[in-house]
Amino acid sequence: MTAELVEPVGVGYPVLEARGVTMIFGGLTALNDVSLTLHHGQIFGLIGPNGAGKTTFFNCLTGLYTPTRGEVVLHGVPLTGDPAAVTIAGIARTFQNIRLFPNMTVLENVLVGRHCRMRQGPIASLLHGPVFRRVEREARERSRELLAFVGLSKMEGEVARNLPYGDQRRLEIARALATDPKVLLLDEPTAGMNPQETDATRHLIFQIRDTGVAAVVIEHDTKFIFGLCDQVAVLVQGELLVEGTPETVRDDPRVIEAYLGKPREEVEAEVRAAAAEHGREDG
Amino acid sequence: MSNAVQAIRRGAGFTSTRPRLAVPLSALGAVLLIAGSLLPWATFILNDAPYPEKATLQFFDAPFEVGGYRAHLLWFGVAALVVTFVTRIPGRGRVLRALGWGGLAVALITTFFIAQRGGGLGAVTAADGATALGGIVGIAGGLLLILGATAAGIGEIPQWRTDLPRPLAWLVLAVAFAGVLYLVSLTLTAGGTGGASNPHAGPVFVAFLGMAGGLLGALHGLGVTRWVSALSEGHRAFSIVVLVLCALALPLTKADSEYWMTVSVTIGVYAVTAIGLNIVVGLAGLLDLGYVAFMGIGAFVAANLSGATASKLGVTLPFPIVAVIAAVIAGVFGAVVGSPTLRVRGDYLAIVTLAFGEIFRKSAQNNIGGLTGGANAIPGIPQLEIGGTAFSDSITVGSVELPAGVLYYFLIVLVVAAVMAIFANLKSSRIGRAWIAIREDEDAARAMGIKTGKIKILAFLVGATLAGVAGAIFAHKFSQASYDQFTFIESVTLLAAVILGGMGTIPGAVLGASLLFVLPERLREFADYRLMIFGLALVFIMRFRPQGLVPDRVRRAEFAGETAEGKSIEELEEELVAEHELAEEAAVGATAKENPS
Repeated sequence: MTAELVEPVGVGYPVLEARGVTMIFGGLTALNDVSLTLHHGQIFGLIGPNGAGKTTFFNCLTGLYTPTRGEVVLHGVPLTGDPAAVTIAGIARTFQNIRLFPNMTVLENVLVGRHCRMRQGPIASLLHGPVFRRVEREARERSRELLAFVGLSKMEGEVARNLPYGDQRRLEIARALATDPKVLLLDEPTAGMNPQETDATRHLIFQIRDTGVAAVVIEHDTKFIFGLCDQVAVLVQGELLVEGTPETVRDDPRVIEAYLGKPREEVEAEVRAAAAEHGREDG
Repeated sequence: MSNAVQAIRRGAGFTSTRPRLAVPLSALGAVLLIAGSLLPWATFILNDAPYPEKATLQFFDAPFEVGGYRAHLLWFGVAALVVTFVTRIPGRGRVLRALGWGGLAVALITTFFIAQRGGGLGAVTAADGATALGGIVGIAGGLLLILGATAAGIGEIPQWRTDLPRPLAWLVLAVAFAGVLYLVSLTLTAGGTGGASNPHAGPVFVAFLGMAGGLLGALHGLGVTRWVSALSEGHRAFSIVVLVLCALALPLTKADSEYWMTVSVTIGVYAVTAIGLNIVVGLAGLLDLGYVAFMGIGAFVAANLSGATASKLGVTLPFPIVAVIAAVIAGVFGAVVGSPTLRVRGDYLAIVTLAFGEIFRKSAQNNIGGLTGGANAIPGIPQLEIGGTAFSDSITVGSVELPAGVLYYFLIVLVVAAVMAIFANLKSSRIGRAWIAIREDEDAARAMGIKTGKIKILAFLVGATLAGVAGAIFAHKFSQASYDQFTFIESVTLLAAVILGGMGTIPGAVLGASLLFVLPERLREFADYRLMIFGLALVFIMRFRPQGLVPDRVRRAEFAGETAEGKSIEELEEELVAEHELAEEAAVGATAKENPS
């Protein structure tokens, strides 16, 4: 672990707050009264065993689900349950299983991210007047900056589906950053990566944090999370078990129990399930 | 990874492992093509007209009179012979393969036709002591040429310099577009006007299409088409002007009668509609099976507002206003039909649009509101006029007399050009990118802050507007609007035009519309077979060229820096397959590691 890179940033003002988020599907309580606060300049890690409700929580943050009870608040403004509105408000996300626009070029993928920060309507788009062209040029410049930032400058004309796996993940991050987010949500950003790529991703997330964008990261890889995040929360069976610095979370006996403190047979079953799920995602 | 690609390539075909056979096979194929073109093709003279002539060795009687499909085969054979022995020609394998396919198509179509008319294979081999082996020899020549070309190895398409000085580039473009005009004119008129006096127009036309396909394939293999398209992207304004001028010059070529003007205007009207549908289907990825209804709405609006006696409204407005009203009303209906897209996706949306198309047709048939004339249609829509000259008249400019209906042709050329500009501008804007993003992955598009509902309805609205304009012109040109001109089969054909031509591209939509609305007209001789031929052609194109005749993204990606070595689509696909296999292996390996038990 590269400890020198983890510089705990002083806690800034709250950016994103989940207040008592509860999500009930039929008779199943997927999330029960989860409250978390993300501060400016923070990297926030969310871990937990499979089925703990991490993805459900993520979907509540991104507006895909509207919480049964509770609310998500960005800069003091409650969010409505619409993914587009949430993104416009300033929360961008990446997907666990990469969801680029496969037949668009790399640059166009990032330009789609600029969509919600551009204002040209149908008439302007039809006429391609001077203002349209200026805005379009600025969007391209900004997109190229972001591609340079994630290290994909040379690939801008390539079709997204032809990119190697790691580059696709980085392109997804560039596309999300193009929406000028205040908060970036990363859903398993290192899934399927080798150690070098994982390390590069860690550096990239630190760089993003340094530009003033707070990040929330979901990961299975606890080692990665503890080396990356300023604050870590553990979800178990839809409830917030522990929240704190990586050190406190790592040494907390309840976390150890949640991950390890079960009879051997059960753990083995879980590992098999995880492996099976992993295989399915890769396919 | 490159090893995997190599392995796939090595195993690609039987002949590709036998390069020594390349030259003998190609040479033999070329010679057979030439021989086939000079041999007799039929053992009899058809009852209704002397086609194909009972071709004796006419070439030696009158050296320059070997015409029609036989001349095409002769050219192909000579060209193939030259390409076989001149090894320095770039893209040799591809050129030979295209010439082989072209020759095969011409020979096959003609032979099939002779056999069908003559009542079996006897017609193309022997009867009453006469032998006619031209067809068989030609087919064999085409096949051998294809085999020889594959044996030589299909190389990459050569890249030509595109950084030409401006005058030279302009000259190249002007010549290329003039060539396109010439080829279009020849293709359109190949076989002449069908009818009782010319019963073989259909097969002559189809054989010509085979020749044109082979010719274009050979030019593509040489890298010429790609070169011209790259040049035209670099000199966009000039290209557009020259293309429009070339299009306007069509009445000066062989296509100089009212019949060809009508055919061209029909193509233009459906091309406009297809470009509109291309926004909905090609860009936004929304399947619309009732699209022709918008064209119908435009036609009925024009019928009612232009002073036709059957119209209940009894108003007569000038055409520009009528066109705008038709566009607006069609657009409003488009937005209404598009609104279910907020809730309904994919197959279900297709059913909604299908239902809308049927509702429109049935309402028009039942003369709803007295606006559609019901089964009587609305006849007698007046011709458009400009300065006292009706659009259906012929006009004389200086000493040149232009055919009747040429003004409709000029109008539709300008409208097609305008619609192309609308499509291109929208496509390369924030809205166009949003449409494509929705097509690619709607959820991801929404997560990027795109208000997908609004954007999808906008696609329907714009598409319907364009169809409305097309419908208004259609109503005037054919001076009637009838419910049975806008049925499900028209919608499906339009959809096929878009998919066949290449989703999301302008040339694709225009080419698709041209083919699909000209072919049935030109295939009348095949009568009962024509829909079958049509369907088979669609199946084959979808099987062997699923990206459409003029594909969009892949081609452009090939021009971009990273793949500048000019990979073909097949090669890219091969690589993807190989990568996919490797990824799967890796995934299996990873799972095995994680789960050692």
